[in-house]
Amino acid sequence: MGFGDISYVSRDSSDNDGFLIGQAVAHLTASLGESFSVFGEFTATARDSEYAFEVERLIAKYEFSDLVKISAGRYHTPIGYWNSAFHHGAWLQTTARRPEAFKFGSRIVPIHFVGVLAEGTWNQSPLGLSYMAGFGNGRHANIARAGDAGDINGENAWMLQLRAAPDAFYGLNVGVGLYSDEVSPDGDPPIDEMSFSAFAAWTGESPEVIIEYLHSSHELVADSSISGDVSAWYAQFAYRLKDEWSAWKPYARFEHTDVDDTDPLLGADGLDYDAALLGVRWDFSPYAALKVEYRNEEFDNGGRENNFQVQLAFVLANF
Amino acid sequence: MATVLSAVLLIGGVPATPALAETPLEQTGLAIVVPKTSPVEDLSMAELRNVFLANQQFWPDRSRITLLIRAPQSDERDYVLNTIYQMDEAQFRQYWIAKMFRAEVARGPKIVFSTDMTLDLVVAIPGSISFMRADQVTGDVKVIRVDGRLPGEDGYPLR
Repeated sequence: MGFGDISYVSRDSSDNDGFLIGQAVAHLTASLGESFSVFGEFTATARDSEYAFEVERLIAKYEFSDLVKISAGRYHTPIGYWNSAFHHGAWLQTTARRPEAFKFGSRIVPIHFVGVLAEGTWNQSPLGLSYMAGFGNGRHANIARAGDAGDINGENAWMLQLRAAPDAFYGLNVGVGLYSDEVSPDGDPPIDEMSFSAFAAWTGESPEVIIEYLHSSHELVADSSISGDVSAWYAQFAYRLKDEWSAWKPYARFEHTDVDDTDPLLGADGLDYDAALLGVRWDFSPYAALKVEYRNEEFDNGGRENNFQVQLAFVLANF
Repeated sequence: MATVLSAVLLIGGVPATPALAETPLEQTGLAIVVPKTSPVEDLSMAELRNVFLANQQFWPDRSRITLLIRAPQSDERDYVLNTIYQMDEAQFRQYWIAKMFRAEVARGPKIVFSTDMTLDLVVAIPGSISFMRADQVTGDVKVIRVDGRLPGEDGYPLR
């Protein structure tokens, strides 16, 4: 199975408008016994003069029961909803682009982590409770990357996420999570990072509602008076039309990111962001969709700009 | 297990058996069936939905659940999509692709093409669960209660 996307992009702030090959994604999975499986996700991403190949996820999992599943490998960090729901398949997500705070290469959210993960679902609960608890390498010195070759400072990251999908509200998912790490950015002193995330998602198509919030605190390890916070949220609304119009799904999203100037990890990066997004998705095939998306964005309080994207997203599957 | 899966693949090209009974499915009811050796007797509608969504992948005795789903364009499949999944075909397909892509399941449900094939595989695969018209159930499989009721009883939810 695999995914791919091709876009046409027009941006106020760029002279490089035109066609873009998004990501080509290959997904491999193998059941190596009744309870042991291996999953891999690999991407090729177009760069200026080359393609960047990446092992996005590689997960070896042993399932003891619904309540206890243990795995090791490279993951999308279970922070919030988007990062563990949509991964690299643009076809899976309603919109053309991910929320800015959760974009691939984000410095705000540690998109990947390498380590071990315990997860499970308590099926006897009418609340549909589930958990994910992880322990592993924290961010790399390049904080947009995971510590793929070991933890760079010996201070491992840990994370915990609790979710509920109540039987009485089929389609509703809510969750809260914590993430903690000591980050050692390139050339800078170590910084403690603690993030809290919360989300509510109504996963039906008519409507689809996803609201997610992230708050991170960063504090210099050697001097706790040097600290700062990051707040980021988005709210996405979509509605699959009915009957003969059911291939069409209009959507909107609002995003906001605020980074304290005093934040020792991100304060100098100019990551403040506001956006309003409108679009429509047309599922003209069971395995392909065309999305037309307009975004009005403001980067680091630098004035608003208009961006336009048409994306063809598809899945290679025989399901 | 490997033999059974091979059989599923080999039989993949066989067209679906036409329904023998003309009585509408809404009148006969849809029976949820498991092997006769299964300890499962009764599921609530919420539990049944969790099994069909693969949110529950193990039976209480820790045996693995194998879900058998009818191929598209059968009345039984349409009925299950409407009542249990509450999805259309496109949503159902996207649900399972996303489920596999999130590494929550290693594979999707097994596809069966007829009631006879459903009966054969439910008998052959321990831990399996599937569905069929209640008037086509044979003594080879066990019909489980849903919300405490069997097909034909008042208040049965899959009717």
